[in-house]
Amino acid sequence: MKRILSHRSMLFSLGLLLVLGLLVTACAAPAAAPAAPAEQPSAGEAATSSGGEPTRDETLIYAVDLTDLITLDPAVAYEFGGIQVVGNIYETLVSFEPGKPGELVPVLAQSWDVADDGDMWKLTFTLNPDAKFASGNPVTAEDVAFSWQRAMDINKSPAFLLTDVCNMVNGEITAVDAGTLELKIPKTVSPQVCLSVLTFSTAAVVEKAAVEPNMGDDMGESWLNDHSAGSGPYVLNRWDRSVSVTLDANMNYWGGTVPPMKRVIMQNTPELANLQAAIETGDADIVQDLGSEQAAALEGNPDLTLVKGLSTLLAYVGMNATKPPLDNPDVREAIRYAVNYDDIIALLGGNAQLVQEIIPIGFLGHTGNNPFTQDLDKAKELLAKAGVPEGTEIDFMVPTGTGPGGIEWATLGAKIQDDLAKVGLVAKIRQLQTSELLNIYRSQDGELVLMNWGPDFPDPDGNATPFANFEARSLAWRNDWNDPTAIELSKKAAVELDPAKRAQLYAELVEYVQHNGPYVMLYQPTRVFGVRNNVQGFIYDPSDTPTVSFWLISKK
Amino acid sequence: MARFIVRRFGGLIFVLIGVSVLTFFLAQVVPVDPAATALGSNAREEQIEAYRQQMGLDKPAVVQYANYVARLFHGDLGKSIRTRRAVLADLRDYLPATIELALVAMLVTVLVGTPLGIIAALNRNSFLDAAARSLALIGSAMPIFYVGLVLLGIFYRQLQWFPGPGRLDATLTPPRHITGLYTVDSLLTGNWQTLRNALGHLILPAITLGFYSTASLLRMTRSSILEMLGHDYVRTARAKGLAERVVIGRHVFKNALPPILTIIGILFGSLLSGAVLTETIFNWPGIGRYATTSVTTLDYPAVMGVTLVAAFIYPLVNTLVDIAYSFIDPRVRVN
Repeated sequence: MKRILSHRSMLFSLGLLLVLGLLVTACAAPAAAPAAPAEQPSAGEAATSSGGEPTRDETLIYAVDLTDLITLDPAVAYEFGGIQVVGNIYETLVSFEPGKPGELVPVLAQSWDVADDGDMWKLTFTLNPDAKFASGNPVTAEDVAFSWQRAMDINKSPAFLLTDVCNMVNGEITAVDAGTLELKIPKTVSPQVCLSVLTFSTAAVVEKAAVEPNMGDDMGESWLNDHSAGSGPYVLNRWDRSVSVTLDANMNYWGGTVPPMKRVIMQNTPELANLQAAIETGDADIVQDLGSEQAAALEGNPDLTLVKGLSTLLAYVGMNATKPPLDNPDVREAIRYAVNYDDIIALLGGNAQLVQEIIPIGFLGHTGNNPFTQDLDKAKELLAKAGVPEGTEIDFMVPTGTGPGGIEWATLGAKIQDDLAKVGLVAKIRQLQTSELLNIYRSQDGELVLMNWGPDFPDPDGNATPFANFEARSLAWRNDWNDPTAIELSKKAAVELDPAKRAQLYAELVEYVQHNGPYVMLYQPTRVFGVRNNVQGFIYDPSDTPTVSFWLISKK
Repeated sequence: MARFIVRRFGGLIFVLIGVSVLTFFLAQVVPVDPAATALGSNAREEQIEAYRQQMGLDKPAVVQYANYVARLFHGDLGKSIRTRRAVLADLRDYLPATIELALVAMLVTVLVGTPLGIIAALNRNSFLDAAARSLALIGSAMPIFYVGLVLLGIFYRQLQWFPGPGRLDATLTPPRHITGLYTVDSLLTGNWQTLRNALGHLILPAITLGFYSTASLLRMTRSSILEMLGHDYVRTARAKGLAERVVIGRHVFKNALPPILTIIGILFGSLLSGAVLTETIFNWPGIGRYATTSVTTLDYPAVMGVTLVAAFIYPLVNTLVDIAYSFIDPRVRVN
């Protein structure tokens, strides 16, 4: 049937089309699961009593790349962005004293005691009776037990810290009374390591009365993405996915004064150029992780200060200890002497510090010994002793993209390849997407592998076990280095209760791995912050949770 | 008309099936493990395996695809491997930002490109024509990210005439989600401060995104008008003593319009793809940036969600253009 439609019916059809088109967006709306809380105030926001919106002077704008942010549930968060937010909203029983590695200070627990209980350790925590949630309700042992149990039941990325590292099991977490919590862990676990894990956001305490009615079918995870139920200095105002996270001061804060910054906005800024512009114009008060180029451009700017802090990452080359010629310890030592570490630090433009051990600066047991400098003669001598002929080829896996400290992995790989060539070793570079490289590495099929490692939890054991203990199926395993001495030392150090003795054991382990292990430890990268001059009290502590405590910040 | 639309969108189903099959199986041959990527470098084998099972990634590709399509028929685009949210929820957050940006960029394109093209054509070989043509040349030659950086550098960092990257100032709260377009939503809720701020934030990225298409439209308009000016009916119209305004407006422009409309349709498509770069530079939380992050982590449910939406929008725009033809050219029938 052919006919020309009247304009009116055409308009109708056009409207129909538009409606079809809008289906894509509009229809998605009701189906979408957790909508952002457009008007509903979050649990703690009702506490804001000052009235009215905070002024710009009471607001801290913190620009940072939040691409990795996927959850604000303390039981699930295991990304830098998430932990940073969660650490300002929720509190743990104990925490670290900033700047004093390994030294625990009370937070929600005013005291704790470790007792020998047959084949178990019994940890008893006495809660601070003043501690209360943003809702005004007191923090009880019941809340703590609920929070830990929930983190284990939800079983997301960081749950292994409680289940595997601390070896917490159902039935061994007991709320004796409102103010006393008992935790029993097996003797194989170090209470010290477990206490370190308890400083981390996964062990943070949520308010049972607030979370339980909102568990839904995901144990409250999606609810906690848009609401908060903590006792910390801040409460969640809103999270605009991939845009920003807005925190408001907890006007009921029990632990001292209400934070000077009434509102903190963490602005997702993935582009380095935009970070620079944000701090230059004053649109942001603090920017995190400037590149070396941006830092150089901002050097000398009278409106701001550049603050450098160390990250907890370590860059290293893994050497598979069963693949010839790397199975010979002399060859591995030769490679350590072949690398020019000073050049690498120079390549990083000051964004790194030389660290030649498996425990990073800022952690208990870090020795500060850097025994290797490039010594080509010594390297050649060691290779000759091992009978490795000139021109021996070794496979060298290098990831794509940018490595720690902002250097291209490829650049770093080429530099090491160049150094090895000087002692007659031919490193055949294979550049692979990180996850593919890890697949090969995990199945022990690498030879030389360029990579980095960050501890899973703020304790030297978070590095010592993966690097030294073959049985942990982590780095030592990936490099097929099954060394009884290293395994024994790492286990002994982990369960040692006396911090001084523990530090001593780690120093021993560090030195042993330095010369016998399958690693060339390269550097610990720094991260650069830009801080506007009117901002005071900014402290960055890589081993603390959160790494930046917003409640310490004020403006003049 | 109704039949035309039904037929057009009936065909679309096959396009969507083809696109989804292609995207899905391309994702299978790429040697990247999405579960391992999502969990990071410290993850242990057991954790990765558990996540793989949880997301159904351990099943054969064909079974995975069948499950995907089955869910699709229930309007479920699956769950993103990276963000661990429903893809639909992600799209609902990010798509409106891109649509708003593309629409304003289109507005810039049409409001600048068409008049400049007409002026250039009517003043052929004059200074105005030369200026317009140079603009067209620069517009089609300059890469989009460079335009963006220059605009940001001058108008935000130096002169501070316009606000910086993002959809709103950090201190402002977005308007209630009605359409997801901040300008429309703040208008509907009567929030004038937010509206002003949202408009300010739109200008630089819209100019950046619309730069290339403005240049193309300018050139197309100019040549189309020039071609029409040479026709006999123009001479006749002038000979009848019609005012020049009527000759150009009613006769020349109307006849020159079909090719201009076609190019506008095509350009809208290019705006959506150009959004990837613009969104990166202007920190725009849109679907382009979502797609880039999803591709690099091989989050294939998210990639497929984005692809399906794009595969839907292109024919939609084409159909709209076809229908618009029938309005301006009585010889064209839509059925």
